[in-house]
Amino acid sequence: MFPSSTKLEPANIKTSDTPSGFGGVGNIAGHVLLIALSVLALFPVYWMIVTSLRPANDIFSSSLIPTSASLENYRTVWSTIPIARMLLNTFTMSVLLTLSQLLTAILCAYAFARWTFFADKFLLGLFALTWLVPFQVTMIPNYVLISSFGWLDTMTAIVVPQFASAFAVMLLFQSLKAFPPELIDAARIDGANDWLILWRVIVPNLRASLASLAILLFISAWNEYFWPLLVTRNLENAVVQIGLQMFLTQEGDLWGPLMAAATFASLPILLLYVVLQKQIIESFMKSGIR
Amino acid sequence: MKKLWLFVIALGLAVVAVVSAQKSFLPPLPKNTKVSITFYNYNLASAGIGAEGTKQLIAEFQEANPNISVEGVPAPSNEILGRLQADVVAGRTPDLAQIVFADYEFAINNLGVKPLEDLISERELQTHYVGLHPRGLALARLNGKTYGLPYVFSTPVLFYNADVFKAAGLDPNRPPRSWAEVKKYALQIKAKANKAGVYVALHGAFDWMYQSLLLSNGGRVLSEDRKRLSFADAPALEAVRMLRDLVSAGAHPNVAPSDAQSAMAAGNLGMYLQTSALQNYLLNASKDKFELRSAKMPSFGTKTVYPVNSGSGVFILAKDPLKQRAAWELMKFLTSKRGYTIITSKIGYVPLRPDIVKDPAYLKPWADANPLIKPNLEQLDRLSPWVPIPGQNYKQITKIMMDALDQSVFGDGDVDDTMKAASVRASSLMPNQ
Repeated sequence: MFPSSTKLEPANIKTSDTPSGFGGVGNIAGHVLLIALSVLALFPVYWMIVTSLRPANDIFSSSLIPTSASLENYRTVWSTIPIARMLLNTFTMSVLLTLSQLLTAILCAYAFARWTFFADKFLLGLFALTWLVPFQVTMIPNYVLISSFGWLDTMTAIVVPQFASAFAVMLLFQSLKAFPPELIDAARIDGANDWLILWRVIVPNLRASLASLAILLFISAWNEYFWPLLVTRNLENAVVQIGLQMFLTQEGDLWGPLMAAATFASLPILLLYVVLQKQIIESFMKSGIR
Repeated sequence: MKKLWLFVIALGLAVVAVVSAQKSFLPPLPKNTKVSITFYNYNLASAGIGAEGTKQLIAEFQEANPNISVEGVPAPSNEILGRLQADVVAGRTPDLAQIVFADYEFAINNLGVKPLEDLISERELQTHYVGLHPRGLALARLNGKTYGLPYVFSTPVLFYNADVFKAAGLDPNRPPRSWAEVKKYALQIKAKANKAGVYVALHGAFDWMYQSLLLSNGGRVLSEDRKRLSFADAPALEAVRMLRDLVSAGAHPNVAPSDAQSAMAAGNLGMYLQTSALQNYLLNASKDKFELRSAKMPSFGTKTVYPVNSGSGVFILAKDPLKQRAAWELMKFLTSKRGYTIITSKIGYVPLRPDIVKDPAYLKPWADANPLIKPNLEQLDRLSPWVPIPGQNYKQITKIMMDALDQSVFGDGDVDDTMKAASVRASSLMPNQ
């Protein structure tokens, strides 16, 4: 019987506890450098939170700790835009887009990598070309079609036109091309058909690549602005990037509320990262994307 | 007898002509008829005072007109035209739209904006125009027809930090009147108060303040017959050289427009030529920190200053006569005494009905408490329209022009060469080239 999944295990690499070339002093220096880089990476996040706590007449103060901290900007955000609803919409959109783009990319890349068929290279080239077509070119035709379906101002309108991603197909195509053909042949000898080979041999072994691709697709979806802006008419159906933009107004940029809204917007991603930290780092290490 | 017949026929034709002429105008809304209209609005796409003021305007209009319901459709100012185009193509024609003055010629030619004279009787129009500033009425007039009414707009105002003036040994009661004085003041501010001198906020996607600067030196971006780009003509080049000189002398910081806005709000900039729409924002930022004041746009020597308006007008796109009438009713309210009272006091734009500033029932209490509005009002009498660039390529032309302006003011190249090269490139995109 064919196993439920077949995994390629990495070769057993021997590692020592202390990296070679690092003595006690080197170790301390390395840590100091890492701490300095961590502070550098975290400072913008800290500054965002500190700014969100400052009143309008103290917003450009350079002091590291706000002298008159208040949650007024958070109250402003909560009362002026439906931030909770926008975050929920953004999360739903990002999950749906990530799953749909992953699924279509797996099937499409598998077809291109596994089989030789009429005009396959030409079709792959067309896929790559669609990646280069600016969104503005397809914007109006897509909008007219969505409008004729009566989907405007719905989650369907935001998600369906972006069901497939050429970027995801191209990335997975490379991974699938590099997949050892011996393993596929072995699975075929064991009696597996193409469908089983994909889901029980290839996908489990591409978990690292798929995880890193999923993260990239999720972040890209989370930052979606223009298409959701075009197809939503009601703020209750809008995404959080539209909410953030609303604080950059004709009557002046409202940095306090903007930073409060940005803090709200980054919380789900931060929480996701904290919960899945180990898996995310592992997947990046394995897939070679740093 | 024959004469009598001729008279009867002539009378009959005259009656038919009058009746058919009257029929082409929009009748009042029938009683008990409910109409819903959409109002595409960029202030609604913000989370600040612009949205609050607009929501109040719509709410008060609906209360006074219970048979008309208004759906506000938010879209940012730089995206609103794309949104309108998409909806027109999709057959969801918007009824009333707030359109930036730079875009309204394109909207007339491509989105089916009709002149008000074709929809509303002359008598009704003239009744509504009473009290509206005549120069304001000209802002949405093209080829002798009025296509819309000015809605939220302002003129360039020189905001200045009175505390920085004092620290630099300048008299805050005597703001600069000419560009030569601006340079002198700015250098003194930099030397004695250790702050940035002046920032002229004319860089970005829109050219209204640039048009104002050129016009005040006898230049134009577009010739009066609207057929030739003239932003590389001698008076225009002279105006740009003046800006370059401010930067070269160190009187004007070489920073992005958003950084200049932040610098002014933080109290690190002495003078800031900008739209009066930023008044409330700057007042909030200056509270308990420094004294904010405002002055009129500076002049080139003794030449007359011609302030050009920023902002947008309201335009009817509806096709259905009932919706057209409802849209006109909303348009009338937005540009009424009450409408401009809300627009000025809640958002900060110029009232197009200047008499309400002296009327205790409307804007007087607010105007007395907010003297910063005065330069804006005084400039209304010399207001000049923000001229839209013609043709389908108007946005590319504006971009080429504004990019060249940035390079000329902040770059190292020769100002005349840069602007002339841009003029040649942009001219090839003009209609009928």
